[in-house]
Amino acid sequence: MEQPIQIEDEVQFLDPKRLKISRNQFAELEAELPDGSVHAPVEPVRTFPLTQPDQYISLLDAHKNELGLVEDINQLKEADRTILADELEKCYFMPKITKIHDLAGRFGVTEWDAETEVGSVSFDLRSRNDITSLDRGRILIRDIDGNRYEIVNYHKLDPKSITLLETQI
Amino acid sequence: MHSGGFSRRDMHRMARSAGRRNNARRSDLEMTTLEEVPETLQGQLEDLLESKEEIRVAISTDLQFNGTYGTDWVLATEKRLLAFNQNGAPTPEVRNIALEAIDQIEIRELHGNNYMKVRTSEGAFEVARYSKRLAPKFAEATPEIETLIDKVKPEDAEKSKRHRKFVDPGKKKIRCETCGRPIPRWSDVCPACVEKGKLLVRLLKYAIPFWKVSVPALLIMLVIRLVGVYPPILSKTLIDDILVPATIALTGSQPVDPGAFGQLLTIVFMMVGVHVFTAVFSAVRGYMMTWVGQRITLTLRNDAFQHMSVLSLDFYQQRETGNLMSRITQDVGRLRDFIAEGLQDIIGDSMALVYMCIIMFVINWQLALWVLLPIPLIILFSFYFGHKMHKVFHVLWRRYAGISTILASTIPGIRVVKAFTREKYEVDRFEEQTHQVFDGEMNAAKLWTLYQPIMTFLTYIGTVLIWLVGGRQILNGELTLGEITLFMTYMTQFLQPVRTLAQMNRRFLRAATSAERVFEILDTPPSVASHKDAVDLPNMRGQVEFRDVFFSYDSEKNAINGVSFTTNPGEMIGLVGHSGAGKSTLINLVTRFYDPSEGEILIDGHDSRDIELRSLRGQIGVVLQDPFLFEGTIADNIGYGKPEATRQEIIAAAKAANAHDFIVKFPDGYDTTVGERGARVSGGERQRISIARAILKNPRILILDEATSSVDTETESRIQEALGRLIQGRTVFAIAHRLSTLKHANRLVVLKEGTVDEIGTHEELITKGGTYANLCEKQTELSKIRAW
Repeated sequence: MEQPIQIEDEVQFLDPKRLKISRNQFAELEAELPDGSVHAPVEPVRTFPLTQPDQYISLLDAHKNELGLVEDINQLKEADRTILADELEKCYFMPKITKIHDLAGRFGVTEWDAETEVGSVSFDLRSRNDITSLDRGRILIRDIDGNRYEIVNYHKLDPKSITLLETQI
Repeated sequence: MHSGGFSRRDMHRMARSAGRRNNARRSDLEMTTLEEVPETLQGQLEDLLESKEEIRVAISTDLQFNGTYGTDWVLATEKRLLAFNQNGAPTPEVRNIALEAIDQIEIRELHGNNYMKVRTSEGAFEVARYSKRLAPKFAEATPEIETLIDKVKPEDAEKSKRHRKFVDPGKKKIRCETCGRPIPRWSDVCPACVEKGKLLVRLLKYAIPFWKVSVPALLIMLVIRLVGVYPPILSKTLIDDILVPATIALTGSQPVDPGAFGQLLTIVFMMVGVHVFTAVFSAVRGYMMTWVGQRITLTLRNDAFQHMSVLSLDFYQQRETGNLMSRITQDVGRLRDFIAEGLQDIIGDSMALVYMCIIMFVINWQLALWVLLPIPLIILFSFYFGHKMHKVFHVLWRRYAGISTILASTIPGIRVVKAFTREKYEVDRFEEQTHQVFDGEMNAAKLWTLYQPIMTFLTYIGTVLIWLVGGRQILNGELTLGEITLFMTYMTQFLQPVRTLAQMNRRFLRAATSAERVFEILDTPPSVASHKDAVDLPNMRGQVEFRDVFFSYDSEKNAINGVSFTTNPGEMIGLVGHSGAGKSTLINLVTRFYDPSEGEILIDGHDSRDIELRSLRGQIGVVLQDPFLFEGTIADNIGYGKPEATRQEIIAAAKAANAHDFIVKFPDGYDTTVGERGARVSGGERQRISIARAILKNPRILILDEATSSVDTETESRIQEALGRLIQGRTVFAIAHRLSTLKHANRLVVLKEGTVDEIGTHEELITKGGTYANLCEKQTELSKIRAW
């Protein structure tokens, strides 16, 4: 009797040792796949941007077709890993908020003054729906312009920040 | 730029921004692409620029390449482009690119930030990194820089549209033009800038139409309250004028005044009279006010639903069904409670307090002052408390809404829940939410139970004071026994309205929260609406022209990216493309569920925005993949778009849709009820009922969105046959993944990433050998192995 398909077989990861990632003269990401083909520009996409930022990275070609999946960027050769990590950092800019200085507003429209790991910032939200609470106190924020911010675990913020935040979640 | 002075808001802003390193928070409000270059750069510029060179574009960023907040600069003159990138270093790195060398300026739109990139024949350089806030500024600067390039490279000028066309997200204002505050997602007006009037005044407006009932009711109440303060006075007379003299007489062995019993009887009768009067009129008033309250509910609820029905699809997409439902059901009820009961209670109770105060002060003003002593404490306490309570209740309300949301998603999805045996997961999720409600309720109770004893204690202080001060006055002969009884009675009567007024605070806050939510619905203007000069187009021919149409659901990505084509009246257009290519979006634009962000859609030569919505949609028929039927009979559903249809027309439409045969097999025929969402009829049957519904409406433009994808081949052929009849003489837009469905189509439009990839007849496209030919080939292979 035929066996049902093993769905694990459906995913073939790119061999991390035979994948070459570099940057070409046009500041684009260039990938040489294990089959020897070279592609540029290549766009890396996090398939789990919120939960697994460094695993399961999809590499897309200029037509947004998937060239293959990188299982974990840490398996890549160091030089390749640095370039890919650097490009991912560019593509997904989401500063982590470490402190909320001030938060005020009505009708769900709020103005925030906050400290992030990369400097202080102030931004505005248009509705409470722009704040997403995830497991373990993780909070994602999307501001009026489309910028994103993250709070890794809001329970670990200082008491004042928590009090301010809890009026909104 | 600001012309005169700073507004208070600016001052506030500046105070907030003080000490912050790099935040051009408001500068983007007055968007300019020629900003003032800081002095630190001026020095460097002198070395870089030639003598007569002038800066034409100067824009600052809010991010640096190393991913920290900070300011970099991009400058353009008529000769070169300069980029200053600090990148954490003490002096910025300068990139100097001659305009002649530049092939292209690119904007890379990424998650949470964008890049500006300059491409030359030898290489490419990123010149700026900036947050999404500055995206409009850079989008505006790009064509300006390109114009400069075109001047030095005229031969390339025809390529001047190098950059991606930027679409302003839905043209919806996201910030207020006067104060710069964000505008709530649900609104088009800035809540801070609009002279909103107090919520209270606005709520009262709903009571005004019923003044003929509510004003008499109020008067009755005032009388009741006035009469209500009378019994203690009677008691006082009874004690001081009858009982005490009698007691004194008896203790002195004197005869009691023979008229005393008659007086006693009179007073008791008066007491009974007052109570009967109060009871009867309270009942009458209660009935009147219930009527007013229910009328207000009726108006408000219907207004809210009526307005909701006018609102555009984007309003619904941003909200959960459960949340919207509880606004119409619960919040409206709370407002009624407040307008009808709360306000009158406030007036009545205040009046009662005033009456009692007057009497007490007349009798003995010193004692009256003592009685009033704890009142300010009580008021202060309740204000502080009300504030805390409001927060707790707001959280509680949201948690209750969460329960509704879970129910609204699991109950319709119960088949999926059961099929995947996820009952436990759903139950757990629900339990978590109910526990949160429990916690919320307990938090409220904690505050509330704390409140009660403190309040009781504060009021008890008053009683003790009367015994102390009043008792001493009696001992000094300054107060009579009847008077102290009156004060005692008033003390108890007094505190009840004070407490009610204190709780009013909470009642008001609850009402205010509900009002915010109901008014949110009423205040949201529909994003798609007929403007006042919109024309009727009674006999549409059905010519549809897309003219350079762009559309975006959010600010992130354009769903339609420059589409232009024209359909002839009566032509059938097949829309082909991968999911997400923009097929359904294009149809949403034709039906005006949304309006294009840029460009226009012309129907018979009129901009669709200039056509009366009713007139437009009245002539568009829609058959969807998963047709939605309403609770009601089959006949009701077929006649949904044409309520005046005769039975004969309904049967005719059903016959044309190949639905008649199965309908007559139901025991109740056309009177069969279809159940909620049409659950009691099968998918194919639902589909044919919906086709009959569209046929009956006799639309000029017909939209078939995957109309046959969810049915078996046998049913499909019947539906195809019905559709063949339906499309005759109408302009048809048909979306189908199964290309065979489009065999009637005159022309096919192949969409790809929001743009028209190919357009032409089936034969033309096959000959061309492009995307469509490719798709066709694949599907022919597939159909060979199709087993059913």
